[in-house]
Amino acid sequence: MNRIQVFGIRHHGPGCARSLLSAFQEWAPDVVLMEGPADAEPSLELIQTGEVVPPVAMLVYPKQQPRRSVSYPLAVFSPEWQALNWANEHSVPVHLIDLPMSHRLALDEAEATPEQVTEEQERQDDKTAENAPVWRADPIAILSNAAGYSDPELWWEEQIERRQDPRQLFEAIQEAMRSVRDEFPETREADLLREAFMRRSIRRVVKEDFQRIAIVCGAWHGPVLDEAALKGKVPGCRVKDDQARLKGLPKLKTTSTWIPWTYSRLAYRSGYGAGIQSPGWYEHVWTFGEQAPQSWLTNAARLLRKKEFDAAPANIVEALRLAETLAALRERPSAGLAELNESILAVLCHGNTAPLQLIREELEIGDRLGSVPVETPTVPLAEDLARLQKSLRIKPSVEKKVLDLDLRKPIGLQRSQLLNRLNILGISWGILQQSGGGISTFHELWELQWHPQFAVELIEANVWGTTVESAASARILDLARSASTLSALTQSLDAAILADLQESIPGLIELIRSKSAVGSDVVHLMEAVGPLANISRYSDVRGTQCSAVLPLLKEMLSRILIGLPSACQSTDDDAAEAVQQGILSTQAALDLIQDDELTEEWNQRLSRIMNSKAHGLLRGSACRLLIERKIINTEELNQITSLELSPVTPTLTAANWLTGLLQGNGLVLLHMDDLWKSLDHWLMHLNEEIFDELLPILRRAFSDFTGPERRQMAEKIRTFDLKAASRNSSNSLSTEKPIHSERARLVIPILSEILGVNND
Amino acid sequence: MSAQGANIPESDSAQLRLQAEVQYAHELDCLAEEDDRQKPPNWKLSPWAVKLYLLGGTLSDGTEITPKYLGNDRLIEIAIATLATDRALLLYGIPGTAKSWVSEHLAAAISGTSQLLIQGTAGTDETALKYGWNYARLLAEGPSDRAIVPSPMLTAMKTGRIARVEELTRIPSEVQDALITILSEKSLPIPETDSSIHAVKGFNVIATANNRDKGVNDLSSALTRRFNTVVLPVPESFEQEVEIVHRRSEQLGRALELPVEVPALDEIRRVVTIFRELRNGVSVDGKTKLKSPSGTLSTAEAISVVSSGMAMSAYYGDGSLKAGDIISSLTGAIVKDPVQDLIVWQEYLQAIVRERDGWKDLYRASRESL
Repeated sequence: MNRIQVFGIRHHGPGCARSLLSAFQEWAPDVVLMEGPADAEPSLELIQTGEVVPPVAMLVYPKQQPRRSVSYPLAVFSPEWQALNWANEHSVPVHLIDLPMSHRLALDEAEATPEQVTEEQERQDDKTAENAPVWRADPIAILSNAAGYSDPELWWEEQIERRQDPRQLFEAIQEAMRSVRDEFPETREADLLREAFMRRSIRRVVKEDFQRIAIVCGAWHGPVLDEAALKGKVPGCRVKDDQARLKGLPKLKTTSTWIPWTYSRLAYRSGYGAGIQSPGWYEHVWTFGEQAPQSWLTNAARLLRKKEFDAAPANIVEALRLAETLAALRERPSAGLAELNESILAVLCHGNTAPLQLIREELEIGDRLGSVPVETPTVPLAEDLARLQKSLRIKPSVEKKVLDLDLRKPIGLQRSQLLNRLNILGISWGILQQSGGGISTFHELWELQWHPQFAVELIEANVWGTTVESAASARILDLARSASTLSALTQSLDAAILADLQESIPGLIELIRSKSAVGSDVVHLMEAVGPLANISRYSDVRGTQCSAVLPLLKEMLSRILIGLPSACQSTDDDAAEAVQQGILSTQAALDLIQDDELTEEWNQRLSRIMNSKAHGLLRGSACRLLIERKIINTEELNQITSLELSPVTPTLTAANWLTGLLQGNGLVLLHMDDLWKSLDHWLMHLNEEIFDELLPILRRAFSDFTGPERRQMAEKIRTFDLKAASRNSSNSLSTEKPIHSERARLVIPILSEILGVNND
Repeated sequence: MSAQGANIPESDSAQLRLQAEVQYAHELDCLAEEDDRQKPPNWKLSPWAVKLYLLGGTLSDGTEITPKYLGNDRLIEIAIATLATDRALLLYGIPGTAKSWVSEHLAAAISGTSQLLIQGTAGTDETALKYGWNYARLLAEGPSDRAIVPSPMLTAMKTGRIARVEELTRIPSEVQDALITILSEKSLPIPETDSSIHAVKGFNVIATANNRDKGVNDLSSALTRRFNTVVLPVPESFEQEVEIVHRRSEQLGRALELPVEVPALDEIRRVVTIFRELRNGVSVDGKTKLKSPSGTLSTAEAISVVSSGMAMSAYYGDGSLKAGDIISSLTGAIVKDPVQDLIVWQEYLQAIVRERDGWKDLYRASRESL
């Protein structure tokens, strides 16, 4: 056997991992060289603590710009992880041989605009060859096409990952890749550079006293890293070529560390292009090997039973038989994930796809979160926070402290944003005590207290991003995706705007849009437009841009317009109250956005409600809003009032109507003489019996009025009566019930005595 | 309800519709000749050949096998694998998704006959699923095997073939449950003659059922557990659905002898687009989410919207299909529930129809009709 052995793998391939492990056990290399940025090597020490639990990611970032970090996620089934673990257990040294990030980031900087390099993009560039067919030959697609498969992933899974016999596997991969590379040579300068660097690193190790050198790298790179290539026998791989290529590379200062990772970030679902579709399934295959189909079905059935679906053990057997027959029909050696899912659907779920989604989320992806030891060197998020704390001059302290922020000043605004962002990340360093004094929105009072466990939480929060801003954006989007109600979503949007998370706002608005489109409850929609209207106000105060809110608001308002009439039908008291609140908040939103077309339609809806058989409260409210906007004049109001309050109307309905009309607020009654007059007129024309009957209800309608309002009303009654009296001498009050002066005179002597005045 | 269903009727040119095994006899023969793979007991073809028969392809001798089912191949594979593992197959789906068609062809390919058929109705009783009596003989000879009139199910059990049950969910629940013994024990006791019929290898059941119909009798969970369920979906691609609607409405127009020109493909595309968008709850550009109405909005309904639009334009219009001709039947097909569906339809008109280029005429027509 050669002194140097290349193990071409596929990142995150469980079969590769198993084969690699058994090859290592057999061959026992005395040094392991891995594809990975050489400047991340110091962070490998942490693995020796044995406290790093996958999924984790190795993170490399420029000291000054944590934002530009690059991460290398590893799961338990990743061949690299297994290689690291094996080397650790056998005290075999591990070296990372790839081009250091210090060079690559510096190159990127020199090359292009300082665009943010997300870790996923970066990974796509350097690792997953199969997702980038445009600029590089996709080796797996070429091979699978040659084998007559339409799906390269499937071909790889069957040929490589599910293979139970690891012998000769790596030679075969090496051979296959060599023939692909002969036909489609690597042309990308960045990759050629990396391969040159890897060769240089390997040559250095070869000079040392090692007998069995294992090289673990992406299958694609394998053919140019073997012994022949190192000796310069492969075209373009001579020492001279490599030295020329690697001369005078720019450099940055970088740091490396480990952070916890999650399976959902590994999966496609997280919305990024790279990654693997079913980390949970891969882990399962890694753990169970040949037994994977049986145990997968059992797990699925147990999960279904836990969620109260009917999944009998006898059916697991049937599902397994179906999966195996399907595999045979499709000429596959054993049942894969597709066959298993299809048989679960047919046998266990009776064709219902909803439970399958559950299986996808809980089993295929899984919710595993990795962990790293406490002594992990500083993570970029913590560094970013420290930088912000310094520039914003707020020191973390375990003592309680109150901070008064003026949002009109930049530093006040930025501090408030930082605290809000940390709250979104679950790091409640500051707690908002109150926002301004009443109406003013530019004052905030925060209570600050730093807890030591925040340090740990910061490490965990790295999963979301490497700066406070990006992490909070990612987190709030994740929260919003799992939100079940529309109002929870609008609250998220509210929080995002308070924290000035511009990146997340379009996503949140989109989520609200789709949620509001499918929601059938108009009341929820009406509740949600209030906060949205507020948001358009915030955007002025806090200087944030949320122009997208307005179209969304209009869209929701048109939905409300359509749904409102049916929402007003046959409601009980509680429901009517909810709808009334909704109508009021919609009206407030409409007043704020001032859209003539919508307002016009809204007013039409209101008049329709007013004249419909809806709950009295709603008709009253509609009427009130129409009066306020002068759609109804006094004459009409008089007519409506007498109609609504006519004797045949059940008293409760009449009272509800009145409550809706007055809305617990006497100001309008005070300021609108017309309304006042119609009510007055109506009251005056009630006969005594009906008046007595209505009195408690009327009292209820007036009960929410404030003291000052009542006082003013009393004043108004006096002046109004005087005015009315002067205009009309035959006032109904004075003519119908004149003071009987003869009888009045009789009480005066007694009264004088009580008051102690002399009546002369 | 008699044994004669098992006999393949003579091919007759006057016959309105030919059975699958008669119409495609040539394809089946060629497949059988070429088929050298392992067959489950009593199957006429191997599972691979059955798959080829359903999905279409070319044999090595050049015989063209027409595709019987257009759509997701994987579903047909699941159906065949189910039958190969002795499990009963339940084809489930909304009306007009080719359930019966698939069931007929599967039975024809596997057993050589698709005629062991039990049509499920509200009036189907146990004798249709088990056996009945020849009363003259019963009175003359007493209970005996000769006095028994076997159901298609019983015939299929005795001969190791496939029995088909159409519209299983229309059968009353207590009658449905008669299937449980047959499916789990693979035998049918006949207490009157103190004997039982044991199913021969190759016997199986394909049932079809409708999941969106009103007044159906849901299957008991004991019965559901004995079936593997395959849901046949509505056509996946837009083009395929337009093709189906176009061809069918053309045929219908000819059958009714309507003096109308073949409907413009554009109008059909529009109807299919509306149906698909409402059914999927999302606009074709994937940008707008929509509510779905309570109706099924199957392809079959799209066909009827277009053909009634053709009749409208032929008798009351100018003979060419216009927005105004289809709007009333379109509204009728979509608005099944006068309150909820109307909201859905109005929202759709506002959000999609009004905004879409070239759809103004439809929007105007809808404003007039609502």
